[in-house]
Amino acid sequence: MTDMREHQQSADIDKTPDSADKFRQELLKEISRLSRFSTRGILALSLFLVVSILAWWGFFFLPAPETVTALLGKPPSASIISIVLLIYTFSAIILSLSRMAAGIEHCSSFSHVGFLTAFYLFYYFGKSLEENYWAVFGAGITILGVESYRIWSFCAEAITQKQEDLEFVARTGRLPPKEY
Amino acid sequence: MFATLAGKALVPVGLAVTGFMVVCCLVLYSVIRDDLHRGEIVHATNLADTILKSTRYAMHKSDRETLATIIRNVGEQKGVDHVRIFNKKGVVTFSAKSGEINRQVDKKAEGCIVCHKEAVPVSNLGTMQQARTFRNPDGMDVMSITAPIYNEPDCSSAACHFHLPGQKVLGTLDIGLSRAELERSLTMLRIQMIIFTMMSLILTVSGVTALLRRNVFLPVQRLRNYVESSAKKNDIPEHPPHLPHDLDIIAASYYNVKMNTFDKKQNSQESVDDCNKGK
Repeated sequence: MTDMREHQQSADIDKTPDSADKFRQELLKEISRLSRFSTRGILALSLFLVVSILAWWGFFFLPAPETVTALLGKPPSASIISIVLLIYTFSAIILSLSRMAAGIEHCSSFSHVGFLTAFYLFYYFGKSLEENYWAVFGAGITILGVESYRIWSFCAEAITQKQEDLEFVARTGRLPPKEY
Repeated sequence: MFATLAGKALVPVGLAVTGFMVVCCLVLYSVIRDDLHRGEIVHATNLADTILKSTRYAMHKSDRETLATIIRNVGEQKGVDHVRIFNKKGVVTFSAKSGEINRQVDKKAEGCIVCHKEAVPVSNLGTMQQARTFRNPDGMDVMSITAPIYNEPDCSSAACHFHLPGQKVLGTLDIGLSRAELERSLTMLRIQMIIFTMMSLILTVSGVTALLRRNVFLPVQRLRNYVESSAKKNDIPEHPPHLPHDLDIIAASYYNVKMNTFDKKQNSQESVDDCNKGK
């Protein structure tokens, strides 16, 4: 990204056909990278759904909560986990909306899947997963939904911009003017 | 929908607000349900203690008729599903339902297995562990408390009694309360929360839509109309309409550009006319 910006800034000076061709190649590479990146939110959401299905089945492959609590000690109470879940959901949404407003390219979706899985596990080991399953599921859908939308809209906007630049290069054979 | 300005503004706000409200409601519902369940257990335990204290004298006197009457009267109360007393062998000695008397209870049955899991039965259970919930044959949800009747010094030392001092538990009182009222309250709470979430969502989306329309969409529409109508005309451009600050600057810039173009056009036309007159 930084290279691209530097390239754009020097566009007014360097306007040879070779640099235009190089710029076009870079744009195509960037468009393909953004296209791949735009599916990141959906992939994270799908992974979360898989984890949720496993949680719905009661994490049958994990040892019984008693075995783990005998080793690690008493888990936090369900109400404490719920308070932390609420604070986490609020912070994650605010962070995602702030990144959306600032137009920052940030890939944090998979870390959210990790945090949400940890909540499922805490509830499971605290023997209160059944009562709190939908709260974690709702939090996950909301956070990853907002994140997916942020990533998708960022990529869609950037791809449109790159395609406009590509069209400009194809039409004029020159580099596009610097963007304000 | 996602491509429009309205969609871009409303989708993330709607999603974030609705999602957070739903999570809050689910967590709140879970906490309230736990509290109500805990309260119900405490209520049932108190009731069991009251019955044990009320029947204590009758037990001392071995007054079976008074004991049976107390159990029957409690069992007739609204919301009480069953009240029974088992002896040490698991035989129902007193019950509000006469058909249950002298029936042997399976120690592996739900509610008994909690204490009888191991070879030596557990004799002390916490209040919360004494409770169990199940569905009775009539299809009604029941919350049941099993309270042990402990052997006390005056039980074994009384002249009329034969309990040995080493016998820790003499029998068990089992009381079941209907959960219908609790379920009704929880259903009402669920409905109220759904309505509250829907109303909050509608309010948020309406508020954001109204503000966006008033402050963004309508001024943008007016700017667009102004630019489109000015672009069609060739004479002196009209003054831009009054718009919010940022859009006002854009409209003024457009007006200045249009004025400059018009002046240049006018000047070049005059030069052409002068040239024609000179000829």
